[in-house]
Amino acid sequence: MAQEFLEILLALGFSWARMTIALLLSILFSLCVGILAGVNRVAEKIIIPILDVLQSIPILSFFPLALYIFIGIHPIIGPEAAAIFLIFTSQAWNIAFGVYEAVKLIPTNILESVRSLGLGALRRIRNLYIPAAFPRIAANIPPSWANGLYFLVACEIITIGEAEWRLFGIGTVSTGFMLAGKIPQFFISLAAVMIAVVLSNIFLFIPLMRLSERYKFEEYAAEAPRVWIERVTKSISGVIGKLLADRKIPSYASASQIISRFSSMVRKNKILASAFVVMAVAALSIYAISSINVLYYLEVVASGLGRFGLVDPLVMIGFSLSRVASAVLIGLTWVIPVSILIYERRRLEKILVPLFQVLASLPATLLMPLIVALVLEAKLSLETGAVIMVLLGTQWYLFFFISGAMRGIPREEEELCRLLKIRGLKKFRHLYFPRIFPSLIMGCLVAVGGGWNTLVIAERVVLDDFIWEVENPGIGKALSGAVMRGDVGILTAATIWMAGFIVILNRFLWRRLYQKATRLLV
Amino acid sequence: MEAVAEPTEGMRENILELRDISFSYSMRGGEKLRVFDNLSLSVSYAEFLGIAGPSGCGKSTLLRIMAGLLKPDNGGVLFRGKPLKEPTPRISMMFQSPALFPWYTVLENVMLALIHEKELTRREKEERVRVFLDIVGLMGFEAAYPAELSGGMRQRVALARALVAQPDLLLMDEPFSNLDPLTAISLRREIETLWMNQSLPPSSVVMVSHDIEELVELSDTIIVLTKRPAKIAGIVKIDMERPRSRRSREFYEYVDKVYTLLG
Ligand SMILES: Nc1ncnc2c1ncn2[C@@H]1O[C@H](COP(=O)(O)OP(=O)(O)O)[C@@H](O)[C@H]1O
Ligand SMILES: [Mg+2]
Repeated sequence: MAQEFLEILLALGFSWARMTIALLLSILFSLCVGILAGVNRVAEKIIIPILDVLQSIPILSFFPLALYIFIGIHPIIGPEAAAIFLIFTSQAWNIAFGVYEAVKLIPTNILESVRSLGLGALRRIRNLYIPAAFPRIAANIPPSWANGLYFLVACEIITIGEAEWRLFGIGTVSTGFMLAGKIPQFFISLAAVMIAVVLSNIFLFIPLMRLSERYKFEEYAAEAPRVWIERVTKSISGVIGKLLADRKIPSYASASQIISRFSSMVRKNKILASAFVVMAVAALSIYAISSINVLYYLEVVASGLGRFGLVDPLVMIGFSLSRVASAVLIGLTWVIPVSILIYERRRLEKILVPLFQVLASLPATLLMPLIVALVLEAKLSLETGAVIMVLLGTQWYLFFFISGAMRGIPREEEELCRLLKIRGLKKFRHLYFPRIFPSLIMGCLVAVGGGWNTLVIAERVVLDDFIWEVENPGIGKALSGAVMRGDVGILTAATIWMAGFIVILNRFLWRRLYQKATRLLV
Repeated sequence: MEAVAEPTEGMRENILELRDISFSYSMRGGEKLRVFDNLSLSVSYAEFLGIAGPSGCGKSTLLRIMAGLLKPDNGGVLFRGKPLKEPTPRISMMFQSPALFPWYTVLENVMLALIHEKELTRREKEERVRVFLDIVGLMGFEAAYPAELSGGMRQRVALARALVAQPDLLLMDEPFSNLDPLTAISLRREIETLWMNQSLPPSSVVMVSHDIEELVELSDTIIVLTKRPAKIAGIVKIDMERPRSRRSREFYEYVDKVYTLLG
């Protein structure tokens, strides 16, 4: 047992290291892309739609492609780099959107005063854009971390055709326990993940968020949920703040010094620097392209699209959509009443919200072996199992979006309802529903998006040698099957269909609804 | 339509009484923020009561207790001689912000206050709402959304909503503080006229304000509160003819009196 305990700790260390590297890359990427899109109209027109599409593509489907490329670059570092890249793609988009929005929302009077100071671009980045984006980055780290954890588990074991890669980490270790029938060890590993997440939150993420509050422009910063860890985190953020002030650790200030030193270097050697950048980018892309034969790949994709046909994908998407939709509906039926209950009985908030936060930190992918075992035990079909897994992966998005919106209801509006004795369903109709509607839509958008991702592993469960498929068609089943066979053509075709459908759904359903909803709430 | 309550025993009869109330907010970390300690005061029938006090002393909290939105930890609230257990349509309140639902039109917002008037048809409700929109000078804006109105007009909608159920007691929390001076003048006139008109609600008004001149202009009585936990620093009875001129010497003496009490 002691040895297995050590194994769990070590695996957690490896997984956390992957996640941290990916998170740092995500932040760096978000700063570059988000600030550029925020200040430059042309860049905005290009970057934002691309981010939007990237955000909609089910990550698990392009992982095998990424793996091909990375392994082409280096056979040993490749899988590791591919895993980090996959985690990165699950963490980066929402941070990038956050940075972009923060830069966009800088009050004009501040922009004007900065302009009148005549600061150069790099100075502006350092003294204005990065501090302005800091709160949004800090606020987006916990959801990004949860997201990354979800995919971390899925990408530690990858099988493509005959080849299989295993990375040592918490995902492989915990699945291994379950498959070996070591149930107590399996639960210990789950608990270890939860504890690690809670500790990361207490000692890093929440203090960072507290610290970032002073960078907010809003006069009344939206109140973060107050929970029991409040006092601990407050003192920790105090310590971090002091450390930053004393500059004992590489701080924001010294980082910005490095940036400015670098920037003055760049300015002095403009031509040299740009030539260097162009060369580096060219070399990398030539290397990447040569490792996969582009023309051949295009041919494979074209034939894949042909083989995939037109009707089959639509049928698959229809079935998959109904699975996601029923999971989201089931989620809403508990999330809405519970959010209202928590809002009306503030005392429950102190107990339930931290509890939910901890539960939400447990990635559904890690629970998958357990769900499968339970569903088998109950002699249910995988159809039920798939919906349960999608539910587990998406319900927290719904909860946090909706309860967040409830918290934002102005006190007077709620009091007005009490004055006028508007209660029960009437209160829901007149107050709660209109107030949560935009977040309800955003929550559904995000939940459905996450749901598609889960389908890739839920419609066709692969646990080592154990394989279980849903009987009816499904786009996730097709994707997973193509990965297994190493059929790049079908894999890409299915990805294109799925991503295309999601983009269309987002553009023409969710965003329209959202715009309508927010227009009502001016 | 219920008849407006008349004073039965002259001006000494109270429509609302707070008896030895204490109230504290529980803060994070279990601390208590004591707002009131054994405070007593009363509002008579047909009285216009003004309340002044330093900011943060608990004026808004006091109004919420009067409305039944908050329960005092100790002591009792009597409305027309009976304990007030929960909000009642007989008492209405205007918050500092208009608190209109942005997703409803002016008409729908005001009509919400009639949601429990079961015996009225929709048409009758609409009729009644129109009457009150006319009173506050908003005829013709029934179909507008709050976002399309100016701050003054929104406050008028809130006033119409507070009046349409014909309450006996109207509570107002700094109703003119977000308005431009001209709008404030006309809205003050309207409230005074309504209150003086015996056939229209409300019978009594309690108004919180930090504008002392406004209080002197409108109130029969001004209660001045101290800092937290708030006690009564003094009570000023104002005996001047209405409408009151802000230019007279008498007016300034009253204003001075209140300022002295505020310290
Ligand atoms: N919901 C609340 N929770 C905790 N403290 C509150 C709450 N509402 C008001 N307070 C505090 O109670 C005191 C009195 O508030 P309030 O009644 O709004 O004062 P006023 O209206 O006189 O400015 C203030 O110190 C305020 O910060
Ligand atoms: Mg107040």
